[in-house]
Amino acid sequence: MKQAHIALTVNGEAIEVAFDSYKTLLEVLREDLNLCGTKHGCELGECGACAVLLDGQPVLSCLVLGVECADRHVTTVEGLAADGRLHPLQETFADLGAAQCGYCTPAFLVTAKALLDEHPNPTRDQIREALSGVLCRCTGYQQIFEAVEAAIPTATSEAESLRSRPRESEAAGASGGGAPREIKE
Amino acid sequence: MQGRGNQTPPPKAPDKYLWPDKPAVIGTSVKRLDGPDKVAGRAKFSYDISRPGMIYGKILRSPHAHARIVAIDLSAAEQAPGVKAALVWKQPGAEVMFQGDEVAALAADTEEHAWDAMRLIKVDYEALPHLASVDQAMAADAPAVFTGGNTKPGPVQESGDIDAGFKQAAHVVDATYSTHVVTHVCLETHGCVCEWDGDKLTAWVSTQAAHGTAQGFAQGLQIPQTNVRVITQYMGGGFGSKFGPDTQGLICAKLAQQAKVPVKLMLDRKEEHLATGNRPSAIAHIKAGVTADGKLIAYDAQSWGTGGAGATSNFPLPYIYVFPNRRRTHQDVYINAGQQRAMRAPGHPQGCFLTEILMDELADRVKMDPVEFRIKNLPDRAPNAMWGEYFTRGAKAFGWDKRHATGDSTPGPIKTGFGCAANQWGGGGRGSKAHCDINADGTVVMKCGTQDLGTGTRTIVAMVTAETLGLPVSAVTPEIGDTMYPFSGGSGGSTTAASVTPAIRVTAFKALDALCAKVGPALGVDAATLVASAGRIHVKGTPSKGLAWKDACKLLGTEPISVDGDWMDGLSSTGTSGVQFTEAEVDIETGIVRLKRVLTVQDCGLIVDKLTTESQVYGGIVGSINFALYEDRILDRVTGQMVNPNMEWYLIAGMSDVPQIDIILNNMPERGVIGVGEPPTVSTAAAIANAVRNATGVTMRSLPLTPAKVLDALEQEKAGGTL
Repeated sequence: MKQAHIALTVNGEAIEVAFDSYKTLLEVLREDLNLCGTKHGCELGECGACAVLLDGQPVLSCLVLGVECADRHVTTVEGLAADGRLHPLQETFADLGAAQCGYCTPAFLVTAKALLDEHPNPTRDQIREALSGVLCRCTGYQQIFEAVEAAIPTATSEAESLRSRPRESEAAGASGGGAPREIKE
Repeated sequence: MQGRGNQTPPPKAPDKYLWPDKPAVIGTSVKRLDGPDKVAGRAKFSYDISRPGMIYGKILRSPHAHARIVAIDLSAAEQAPGVKAALVWKQPGAEVMFQGDEVAALAADTEEHAWDAMRLIKVDYEALPHLASVDQAMAADAPAVFTGGNTKPGPVQESGDIDAGFKQAAHVVDATYSTHVVTHVCLETHGCVCEWDGDKLTAWVSTQAAHGTAQGFAQGLQIPQTNVRVITQYMGGGFGSKFGPDTQGLICAKLAQQAKVPVKLMLDRKEEHLATGNRPSAIAHIKAGVTADGKLIAYDAQSWGTGGAGATSNFPLPYIYVFPNRRRTHQDVYINAGQQRAMRAPGHPQGCFLTEILMDELADRVKMDPVEFRIKNLPDRAPNAMWGEYFTRGAKAFGWDKRHATGDSTPGPIKTGFGCAANQWGGGGRGSKAHCDINADGTVVMKCGTQDLGTGTRTIVAMVTAETLGLPVSAVTPEIGDTMYPFSGGSGGSTTAASVTPAIRVTAFKALDALCAKVGPALGVDAATLVASAGRIHVKGTPSKGLAWKDACKLLGTEPISVDGDWMDGLSSTGTSGVQFTEAEVDIETGIVRLKRVLTVQDCGLIVDKLTTESQVYGGIVGSINFALYEDRILDRVTGQMVNPNMEWYLIAGMSDVPQIDIILNNMPERGVIGVGEPPTVSTAAAIANAVRNATGVTMRSLPLTPAKVLDALEQEKAGGTL
């Protein structure tokens, strides 16, 4: 089998990697670089579970060949934390229960990071649109949306209150596919 | 589900074990303890397991809906580069009964070598007649595909006097209703990694039942169960489809045995759709009568449905509401498609849809508000039958009084409507065991061989331990997902919380009692007077007379506390009820349905972790939105092949498809823990269909509500009416 040998930057680290030349980026990451945070979902470019950032842009790593990534920058979920601290998105995802089984979580995180990098203060429609290509089967999107909103650096007081919300007092959970609110009974 | 057959009643928990009146931890929102691992990408799913020397297994599956295997030749494949093991699963002479039925398998050093070698396996098939739809299977001239017949009638369920009932009816609705087949679409596919050490097997399996899967391996491979260890630390969804090793697990183990190296065998997306289960279809011809004053009086239904090749399809009907005179027959219809498996609240979404649509039709006949009509026809109020109160409470919170009569009369193509529906479920569970260690350094480990599907089991194990020992949640290490830990049953039927938490409570109390037996003499008090709270062991009512947790544990010296405990009766129960309301927008020019809002009132007994409870409800509702509007397993009527075995044409809602969802949880601590994984997914689809009916004035009697079907129904209405 013909081996490819490329240099690239993965999660901020310049590396070289050799792999069977037919491999997708997803396979190179998981099998040759032991970065298993990025998940197999359908391997058809349909479910979004394998999303990573390539030069800062979200791509489906099952549709990108490893050899296309020479001299480029790849960011996976393992690269979101910096200096031993979780990225704000990782914190809000964990705090607000946005990672239920957790299988789609890495893809949502990197996709949301790309959104916030480009639009530090996105509208709710921008959040929905940016994240609609990643499918979740168990969490239900609600908490994922809330977690992205709560991680916006210039958070509104509403999003701030979501992040620190004690959640045990109210009779009803708040909000919907993007419209946090309290139920008036 | 496990252990239900116990002959002797289990011991009743002593009063002091009962859930506290003023809990410190239980009922609050505790973040999933494994959240940091999941968001950092550290959580290892079965798909992520890699073992030294590991190779890759693949299964060759039938391309035919029905055929006899004439011959299989593995020889060329066995010689192919990288191939280390190969086996025949179905011997020549056997029949394959659906597209995707397992035929043979092999393992090779790379996935690509495995794929290449698979193409070299030669199978001669003799194609046989197949049935690709319920209509084909039930046709008078249908080929006899299944031994014993293509259909299997069930018993007649009958009560009251049906003829007398219809005589009292002022109005009768007579129509046919149906729901479709959907598949589980677990984001992590089914599969495992199998590794042998001599005659001992370790399997990392994506499963909802670690212990049940170990038993399945032992039975399937005919080895002692003590030689099998199953590990499931993280798994990406099961929804009822992952209860055992399955065929692919047994194949994986056999390939690993043959190759003498670990084998990974994870299915791909197409295999998932074809062979790992689905929710059966449900069709019913229903005649129902109502009295002039709005009492349900008579019900006569003939139902059928398909669970695929030789599997059942029954479901509860009518659902919840009381018809004093009723008759119902059901028959299973077999077609050449993958067999059904339990899918989140098996049977209930079908029964709910087929009943709740009819309820709105009947309400219109007697010109009653749908909520009022439902309340009038509910079973008696009981702790597990609270729909009347929930309908009233939910209607108020939802703004139901703003609902217009059937058919939005405002101008323009966008019509808006409200709908509602109710759900019920059993839940409850029993039979779990646990083990607790308290060490002299104050650390606490609670072990239980249950598994966490993402529902938060790991977190509630720690919460209940912490509550019982008077510690913060962070002071407890929960260890689950491994058959090295004490037995716990499968996570099905919403039974996990009710099965696991009593065992944890009892085990933690036994550990605490052992610790108090050391602390009592040290303090010069009777150990029976001691309690644990706020990080101290102290005399009840006198927090100052006691020891800090760490100082108490130092008394253990070199001998840690190590105790086992069992599930006990009295800390859990069964039976839940809930209602849901939806608001939908229908574009009558395109047939597209957009959801605006969902509101639910739901109970599940004692709420253990509010955050993960809410998560279950959100996820269940989204699953039901998918059932109503998007998902549909489509078989080609000629070939019996699935035409959308992927995630492109098999549609699943994304974030922008999901509306505002409001959750009102009714905490019922006096009932103990019950469970909530399934009930929320029962009724949203029916409530959506009723909202579409309220918007358009056209009754939607068949799911899914695709644009084509909505437009069809609107056309039928113009041509003479669906009402």
